[in-house]
Amino acid sequence: MPTQEFEGKTLDDAIRSACEAFQLPQEKLDIEILSKGSSGIFGIVGARKARIRATPKETPLGKACERAKEVLTEILKYVDVPTVVESEVREESVYLNIVSNGSGLLIGKRGKTLNALQYLVSKIVSREVGDTVPVIVDTENYRSKRESNLTEMALQLGERVKKSRRPVTTGPMNAQDRRIIHMALKEDQGVRTKSKGEGNLRRVVIYPAKKTKNIPDSMTEAKSNAQ
Amino acid sequence: MLKELIEYMARALVDKPEQVRVSEIEGEQTSVIELRVAKEDLGKVIGKQGRTARAMRTILSAASTKIRKRAVLEIIE
Repeated sequence: MPTQEFEGKTLDDAIRSACEAFQLPQEKLDIEILSKGSSGIFGIVGARKARIRATPKETPLGKACERAKEVLTEILKYVDVPTVVESEVREESVYLNIVSNGSGLLIGKRGKTLNALQYLVSKIVSREVGDTVPVIVDTENYRSKRESNLTEMALQLGERVKKSRRPVTTGPMNAQDRRIIHMALKEDQGVRTKSKGEGNLRRVVIYPAKKTKNIPDSMTEAKSNAQ
Repeated sequence: MLKELIEYMARALVDKPEQVRVSEIEGEQTSVIELRVAKEDLGKVIGKQGRTARAMRTILSAASTKIRKRAVLEIIE
């Protein structure tokens, strides 16, 4: 990260202009004071400007993000698809977006290739950093599309369970997809969800909620529908 | 190209990248990529329940689809 020097009438002014230049809050800058500045006599004679040297602090995740981008770019170079990788730190994880010509090649069946890339990049970077780095690899908004598809499916299945009062099982899913299903139905008092099965065959089972003392409205409704 | 792909991924995964050896046996339609790593690193390229090896194979098949070929990754002990 580049180091720059800033000047201002007072120290605060100098720091403020550093924050503006880097678009970062003061806590995220390393600031070295070169000259405190003085207003001189009567503010005229011998006035000196305050000078500081500021460097943006390197966050571990920011560093991992740079490296993750490098690794993915390198792998894609050998796959021979013209691509550009964009990277950013998003909600405590590294988010990498592949911009390419839009063929499904990098997504694969049900995101298989995209997940493989994501797994490998995360594995490589985590090993180098010495700590688990959550990495998300995305292209053409695949992840958010998948999330909304799965959420919709979860809600439909939830309704079905409430009507039939019988548990429903989804197809085999990876951890990421299962999480989306659990999250989608978390707020629904009428059903509860659980993952079942081993390894690659883990599925989500959606059960009708047990009868509890304070039966929520949605459940009584579902019950009367069933009768 | 396929060989370099595997080589890059394997080197980035292991502790002893200098001991990574990759060779390609090219057939008419199918290429066999052979990967050799230091004994201690074998687990790293295979991964828990073969997950890392599977991920490398998935990426390899995407890359080979691009050049209209088939490729098989063999990890040699």
